[in-house]
Amino acid sequence: MEKFRILVVLPLYGGSLPIGRYVASALREEGHLVEMFESPEFNSAYNSLKNLKVTADRLDYLQNSFLNVVSQSVLAKVETFEPDMVLAMAQAPLNHQALKRLRRDGVTTAMWFVEDFRLFTYWKSFAPFYDIFAVIQKEPFLSELAEIGQPNGLYLPLAADQNFHKPLDLTSIEKRKFGSDISFMGAGYANRRVAFRELVNHDFKIWGTEWDDDHVLERLVQMKGARVSPEECVKIFNATKINLNLHSSVQAKELVTFGDFINPRTFELAACGSFQLVDKRTLFEGAFEDDELATFSSIEELLEKIDYYLNNPKECKTFIQKGRERVLKDHTYTARMRTLIDFTASRMKDWPRPRNQTSDFLNELPIELQQQIRELQGRLSLPENVSFEDLVWAVRQQQGVLSELDTAILFLDEWQKMYKKRS
Amino acid sequence: MKHYLVIQLARFGDLLQTKRLLTTLCAEKEASVHICVDNSLKSLAELVYPNVTVHSITAHGTGLDRAEAIQAMLSGNSKTFSTLKTFNFEKVYNLNFSGLNFRMASLFNPEQVEGYAWQNGQEIIGLWPTMAMRWANRRRIAVNLVDFWGGYRKDMIEPENVNPPATPNGGGIGVVLAGRESRRSLPVEVLSKITATLAQTEKTHKISLLGGPSEQAAGQALLKSLPLSVQNKTTNLAGKTNWENLVEIVDSLDVLLTPDTGTMHLAAHLGTPVTGFFLSSAWCFETGPYGLGHTVYQAVTDCLPCLETTPCCFDTKCLTPFANSKFLRFLATQKEEHLPNGMTAFKSEFDELGQIYIPTAGNDLDASSRKKFREFIMQYLTGKGGKTSDLDEMFAQEIYREKDWITNTVPSATLGL
Repeated sequence: MEKFRILVVLPLYGGSLPIGRYVASALREEGHLVEMFESPEFNSAYNSLKNLKVTADRLDYLQNSFLNVVSQSVLAKVETFEPDMVLAMAQAPLNHQALKRLRRDGVTTAMWFVEDFRLFTYWKSFAPFYDIFAVIQKEPFLSELAEIGQPNGLYLPLAADQNFHKPLDLTSIEKRKFGSDISFMGAGYANRRVAFRELVNHDFKIWGTEWDDDHVLERLVQMKGARVSPEECVKIFNATKINLNLHSSVQAKELVTFGDFINPRTFELAACGSFQLVDKRTLFEGAFEDDELATFSSIEELLEKIDYYLNNPKECKTFIQKGRERVLKDHTYTARMRTLIDFTASRMKDWPRPRNQTSDFLNELPIELQQQIRELQGRLSLPENVSFEDLVWAVRQQQGVLSELDTAILFLDEWQKMYKKRS
Repeated sequence: MKHYLVIQLARFGDLLQTKRLLTTLCAEKEASVHICVDNSLKSLAELVYPNVTVHSITAHGTGLDRAEAIQAMLSGNSKTFSTLKTFNFEKVYNLNFSGLNFRMASLFNPEQVEGYAWQNGQEIIGLWPTMAMRWANRRRIAVNLVDFWGGYRKDMIEPENVNPPATPNGGGIGVVLAGRESRRSLPVEVLSKITATLAQTEKTHKISLLGGPSEQAAGQALLKSLPLSVQNKTTNLAGKTNWENLVEIVDSLDVLLTPDTGTMHLAAHLGTPVTGFFLSSAWCFETGPYGLGHTVYQAVTDCLPCLETTPCCFDTKCLTPFANSKFLRFLATQKEEHLPNGMTAFKSEFDELGQIYIPTAGNDLDASSRKKFREFIMQYLTGKGGKTSDLDEMFAQEIYREKDWITNTVPSATLGL
């Protein structure tokens, strides 16, 4: 498989942030050279503007200027790193001007819009400026994308990171802290608040944010409604007998909405080997078989199944095993990135652009030096046939003081550029 | 014992011009001073800085094919880098604005490095060299490079203690045929007349033509163009000297005639009087001979100093005064009325900051603003002074930037109190 240079642009904050990190990890595991644009590092400075107590127009101007600087920073990184693809996660800080510049410079851009297109309609503003637009919903979204000038819409559902979302051996303390008969991990959307009132008499823990002002559920909310880290999520999933997975809805009239997209929790729970009861989604078809996920279509059915599976834990095992197998086979971020890259190659003419790569440099070295470089490749998790240029960048990505060999490699690269000795 | 490292990866002349910084570091009690240079300059560095530990790497581009370069960099350089890492350097003075210097800085913690540093893959320029870049469009009032590099230390030694005062040594005249950049060197026919005039005026018994192998032909041409009586005293040594010979010869001379070259800085280092010819991109206030007892003939046409890399649209008019026969009369008589237009004769002097040049004939139109600028810089470096000139506000706005004081600057702000 061809190896690429990919710049992953994270959002300043939000749900697509951990997904961006899983994406980067998956790309690295596939041997691609990945550079991250760490937008969250800019977030506190951006938020501090809101404490200025200035006129609204001034604040607006300052915020736009700030985001412009962030956008320009992405462009500068592109100039230096020269990626084959800029992969932006939803809400990535790339403004129109920056996207136009990337297109002008022939840099292939892709967005993975891991949002509900009906709620987050800002996609209409910038989708045409990306070369590839991956989404977690099918029709009518893909047609609508084509209508506004984005012909390269790709259905790319969410996934799990098999190296992170996995069965854990928890300590007894962790089991006590994170475990319960039933739990829910997620934000307090309207449909969930109503649905979960039926469960207050169970051993039920609620984890996550935005559960304030709900006097019924208040006592079930863990850690005072603080944000739960991805590591803690995995422990909760592993420690819980029945993980509830009710897709969000901003309305409370229909508690089970039979919506289309599949949330990340579905894949993550399955990958963890944790039992879940998940509300039916239209896009389950093709993604999971009936014996791979235990589903419900109404709150009444949910309550029935909770009782059933609590009393028949052995029945959960088939779902756990089959669900996990299916996710590991088809629904990992590794698989998603392969799909995205294949799709990009099929849609973008002459992608990636050829670059001068020196792949046989190791053979020019004495045996001892070859051995040292191989060790370095191993330490940096680089493939054996890595090009010199990618090795240089991987060395540059390291933090702190470098070793003499690292420095010598950077020095050689710069020297070659300076004296144009490359053959 | 404190260890200091100076990384000087540039050329011959730059190595000599690092002397104020190196001597300042050597003057510190219980300090061990190291320098890292290109391999080609190792033996010279050992000759001129006997109290400094010299390390060398392959940094220059000459003569290596790709395979040799890979071997030299990954094997040879890596060994030197490994040695350097064994010293816990108190400070690393990384002097050259070059991608190579930035990358070499990756061996060290950015807090250790002054000048050009490397922080987690990012090139970082320190405040002092950044300031120098900001005054790059005011080269006429610039600071001598020796003093600029010395300025990395607020305890820099007095300028008088850098090089010995220049005195004739009895070995005749040395003539440097050309520098690395041709436009700022005098053509053979002009240099020949100047050499002949000074040989006759000084009644010299010996003339040595100096240069590298590529100047051998120019040396022969110069030799042939000299009057027979002078020819007989002249030896073309171009391409025939190693560093040791060159140091020996330059050390023996009464005077060295030269454009702005490494050999000129070697003469200043040894205390051999220099008669320097500065034109085109060469500007004595930037890179003139350091020390007392030197003479500089500086072209002062309004287009100077220019950039050697930019083509000249004025037909190198700054050369005209050197080719003018009046200049030969001036050399013979030292009478101001014979000095051609477009040239000023300077002698080297010091002020509190370091090297300056005082006109002995002709004008120095920038003297007043240069003095004010130097006071401004001196105050920045040492806190001394405090008298605000009418130009200080303009200098401050050009040389200082908001980010200098608003943000935490790494490498450190270098100086200032």
